[in-house]
Amino acid sequence: MNKIDVACIIDDDPIFVFGAKRMMELSDFCDSFMVFKNGQEALNSLKPIMIAGENVPDIILLDINMPIMDGWQFLDEFVKIESHKLLTIYIVSSSIDPVDINRAKRYKTISNYIIKPISTDTLKEILQIELAK
Amino acid sequence: MSIPNTQNKSSIDLLDFIQERATIGTWEYNPISTILNWSIQTKKIHEVPLDYIPNVEIGLSFYKEGYSRDTITRLFTNCIENHKDFDIEVQIITHTGKDKWIRAIGIAVVENDKCVLVQGLFQDIDKTTKDSKKLAFKELQLRRTFETALVGMAIVDLEGNWLEVNKSLCETFGYSKEEIEKLTFMDITHPDDLRKDYKAMMSMISGKIDHYETEKRYISKQQETIWAQLSTSIVRDDKGQPLHFVAQINDVTEIKKTSKKISQLLTTTEDQNKRLLNFAHIVSHNLRSHYGNLDMLLDIVKMDLPETTDNEIFPLISMAVNHLGETVENLNEVAAINIQKDLKTEPLNLLENFNRAYSSISALIIDSKTTISINIDPNIVVKAVPAYLDSILLNFLTNAIKYKKPTEPAKIEINTRIKDRFIVLEIRDYGQGIDLIKYGEKLFGMYKTFHKHDDSRGLGLFITKNQVEAIGGKIEVESEVNEGTTFYIYLKTHE
Repeated sequence: MNKIDVACIIDDDPIFVFGAKRMMELSDFCDSFMVFKNGQEALNSLKPIMIAGENVPDIILLDINMPIMDGWQFLDEFVKIESHKLLTIYIVSSSIDPVDINRAKRYKTISNYIIKPISTDTLKEILQIELAK
Repeated sequence: MSIPNTQNKSSIDLLDFIQERATIGTWEYNPISTILNWSIQTKKIHEVPLDYIPNVEIGLSFYKEGYSRDTITRLFTNCIENHKDFDIEVQIITHTGKDKWIRAIGIAVVENDKCVLVQGLFQDIDKTTKDSKKLAFKELQLRRTFETALVGMAIVDLEGNWLEVNKSLCETFGYSKEEIEKLTFMDITHPDDLRKDYKAMMSMISGKIDHYETEKRYISKQQETIWAQLSTSIVRDDKGQPLHFVAQINDVTEIKKTSKKISQLLTTTEDQNKRLLNFAHIVSHNLRSHYGNLDMLLDIVKMDLPETTDNEIFPLISMAVNHLGETVENLNEVAAINIQKDLKTEPLNLLENFNRAYSSISALIIDSKTTISINIDPNIVVKAVPAYLDSILLNFLTNAIKYKKPTEPAKIEINTRIKDRFIVLEIRDYGQGIDLIKYGEKLFGMYKTFHKHDDSRGLGLFITKNQVEAIGGKIEVESEVNEGTTFYIYLKTHE
């Protein structure tokens, strides 16, 4: 195995989603994507998938500032799902506010805090870590 | 009235007793024989020995020179010549030299239209006179105090009428004494404060309280609201019946206005701080995310459409995006410095930190052939945030190199000295210098540059200044065009 099966992007910014997807393709990051525009949408779809245990994404790239349900709210709900530990969550935000960065550290499920913009290099690093697991 | 001179013993004893007790003596003068008689008590009042034999001249000479002696002489003569009785209060100087107030009464006994005897009383009224004079003086003192007090003072009757008011009170309310004394305090109290005042007044009259203090509003003659501190007490007679109120009214309108202004300023400042926080958030998030997208898209273009990058425009776009990123980062730093409340300062060795900054740009120093002489006492420890100190030192060093004279390599001198509770770090360069008269005020402003230099974006000094101030220091500068610049960086000493 040299790439991730399913990567999930939760972000309301279509430019970022486009860019991230293209970068993942170019760096041969994963086989398929799941994209959600906000936390609520993601939660609604991920819950049944995870309960069924089929086609569960390996990693989630989670934005913080989103309408309807933001990244923090999503996390608070997501950790209630039993099998949430199977996934790796990366916060991907343009916020360099230390308040946000410190808050992310309080969640055990969060692997890392990535500051936008993401580059192919960043993706390669993530890939290495994930495949090493 | 006549004083009997032939009495039985017991009645004479009684008379002596009365004389002594009432400090009243008697005297008698016979104008025909010119004999003057003083009773024992009269002698005692004069403080002469009991065997003393007075005469008219001596008698008059006891009276105090001036008003007292002139008056008694005139009245005494008048009594003998015109048979006019007298009753006066004057001063004598006793045999032992004491000033004494006395009351002298003289009555002419007339026979055949001729004065044959003058009989009189002589009373020591020194204590009562002096007491009442003292009282009068005290009253005057109080009255003066009342009149000239800077605080408004008034006596108000139980119905609220102004019985007496002082000058200051009139000035506060804009009324004359006559005008205000026709009004009650209710007439000039702000309607909204009337109830409260009235209640307090009733409580004082009923004896529930005897003192009342409040801050209230009045309405001046000019219909302006006057804020005042009122302090009222009730005065009662010896039977405990309320007589009147004594009030002190201190005009605090100006103080009120000022404190209102201050609190408005505070609100504005707090608002602005909030907006600054918001602004910082916009910078740190929104602006950054747009920059991030641009940067990411450029990366994708490079990989996806490499043929479109091979022209003059693409590198320029790339550069513009990079600059945007830097600007956003700088703005962020500035905002972060201004927002951060509790900075974690720690004791830092200045020389060690300086050397670290120095070595991090050693390549630049060697390339530019810069000479630096460093005289930092290795024992100096300052109180600073490590990241800030690094940034401050680095910024001043690179600035000094950057703004060297174009014709020669940079020459920098670093010195330290102690001033009060600060360490002053002097960074002197012999570079281009800055026209402080022209640019002095803008020197530490955001995005101000003074030199035509490719790399001068002008945010450096602004951030540095913010950082220095955030850790309790300050920056001073001396500069002359073509001579060089010296920055004095005041850093707090570690205690």
